[in-house]
Amino acid sequence: MSFLEVFQYTRQDSVVHRLDPRSKLVMAIVLAMISLLFMNIVPLLILLSVLLPLIGLARSLQRWAKSMSGLSVLIVFIVIFNTLLSTVANPFSYSIALSLRLIALMSSFSLFFLTVHPDELSQALIQMGVKFEFAFAMSMAMRYVPTLGQEAYAIMDAQKARGVELDRGNILKRIRNIVPIIVPLIIVSIRRALSIAESMESRGFGACENRTYLEQLKFTRHDWALVLVSVVSFCFLVYVRFYLALPPWMSWGLPF
Amino acid sequence: MIQLDDVHYAYDGLYPALRGVSLEIDEGESIAIMGSNGAGKTTLLKHLNGLLRPQKGHVFLDGEDTSKYSVAQLSRQIGLVWQNPDHQLFLDSVEKEIVFGLKNLGYDEEEVSDRCDRTLERLGLTHLSHRSPFSLSGGERKRVALASVLAIEPRILALDEPTIGQDARQKERLAKMLDQMNEEGRTVIVVTHDIEFVIEHFPRTLAMSEGIIVADGKTEAVLSNPTIVERCSLAVPQMTIVAQGLHQLHPEVSPRLTQVNEIESELIRLAGGI
Repeated sequence: MSFLEVFQYTRQDSVVHRLDPRSKLVMAIVLAMISLLFMNIVPLLILLSVLLPLIGLARSLQRWAKSMSGLSVLIVFIVIFNTLLSTVANPFSYSIALSLRLIALMSSFSLFFLTVHPDELSQALIQMGVKFEFAFAMSMAMRYVPTLGQEAYAIMDAQKARGVELDRGNILKRIRNIVPIIVPLIIVSIRRALSIAESMESRGFGACENRTYLEQLKFTRHDWALVLVSVVSFCFLVYVRFYLALPPWMSWGLPF
Repeated sequence: MIQLDDVHYAYDGLYPALRGVSLEIDEGESIAIMGSNGAGKTTLLKHLNGLLRPQKGHVFLDGEDTSKYSVAQLSRQIGLVWQNPDHQLFLDSVEKEIVFGLKNLGYDEEEVSDRCDRTLERLGLTHLSHRSPFSLSGGERKRVALASVLAIEPRILALDEPTIGQDARQKERLAKMLDQMNEEGRTVIVVTHDIEFVIEHFPRTLAMSEGIIVADGKTEAVLSNPTIVERCSLAVPQMTIVAQGLHQLHPEVSPRLTQVNEIESELIRLAGGI
């Protein structure tokens, strides 16, 4: 699961971290859509050569590299299966492009999640008109993911001590072994949700109709510039993709 | 029987929880592990049945290194009961919950139902055997979790915070049961903050602080020692406070008494006897 690390916020001070989450969201969506526009190796490599410096600017290249090496198993699968089973003309070239697209997609969104604190994210949602309760529920959900992970380990320990062998047996047995883990996990989570709700209410959650916020997000000139660059380059690339033919060197592919 | 030799463990390799723990526990002992939060008590328990493996050092059971055995193999010998019963309950009746562990370890039908009934009776759960564990109270769930491990009848029983959420009666019952297990020759290890519970039922106490064993010895000696009590953020036993008060007025009374009956006889003596 280490490839998911690239979607985890890292507390750091960088140009990218300081940007407004809304402008970063625009950028991430644009980058992701660009990666979906092209299915050739060269344009995707060019896109990656834009993405990597950006991740470098966010001082997260190491984490990115670690995540990608975690992803490599999946990529090998994608390449093997697509090469063997795909019906397109050059299956190997095609599956390499597919893998590059996956990497580009993940990197685009990781740029957002790596640099946006969950609190910032919910503040951004609120300022975009989402109701506070929903935004709060979302940031709580994110906050409790690691807690849930710890709980899962504690439950595994408890069941192992009762003779459950989680890493033994055939596939059917292993699937059955999930039950003693998942049921307590759900019940513990529901119990906790109830007690959190009670404790929030007893501390006056939802008492005021109109909330004020300690920190308001502000769009700076940098943010406007980023949004502008993103939107303009997106429009340009859509134009290139649909109304101009790609130059031959751009649509170059491996011969098999 | 259990022997830990210079056991080190750090979570994620970064956060040390045990830094060189060595100890020996003999067959049939009854021992309490006390210490401040984060002292490494639970981590120590997890090393007993192999849930955690020492990063440095060794754990021996009957002279054999436990690294050779799986958790399932070790859990036949060592039953661990956890703090939070909700981490292990998942079936829709108390009975099934108890049977689950036994079936995992491959006991036959008859043996399973025998042990199940015995355990239910022992913990006063017979009348709840068909109820769903999730509809029970916290204290009852805790006893069900205990029963599910107890049914395996392990030679060594280790419990993490068994007295939390139990009323005085249930605590007494639990203590009695542990005493009985101990009399049958089983080794009982308990991690707890409940100082009076320890004084009454556990002759030996380990005091831990910051991943090392600060003191290991007779319960009354450990718990009446102000330095250890301070270091491990334990509470001074009530009877020791009384003893210290008496000691100021009557220097011949030892300030390190812990048992109710000791204080009682001192008071009777001071009052001139009956």
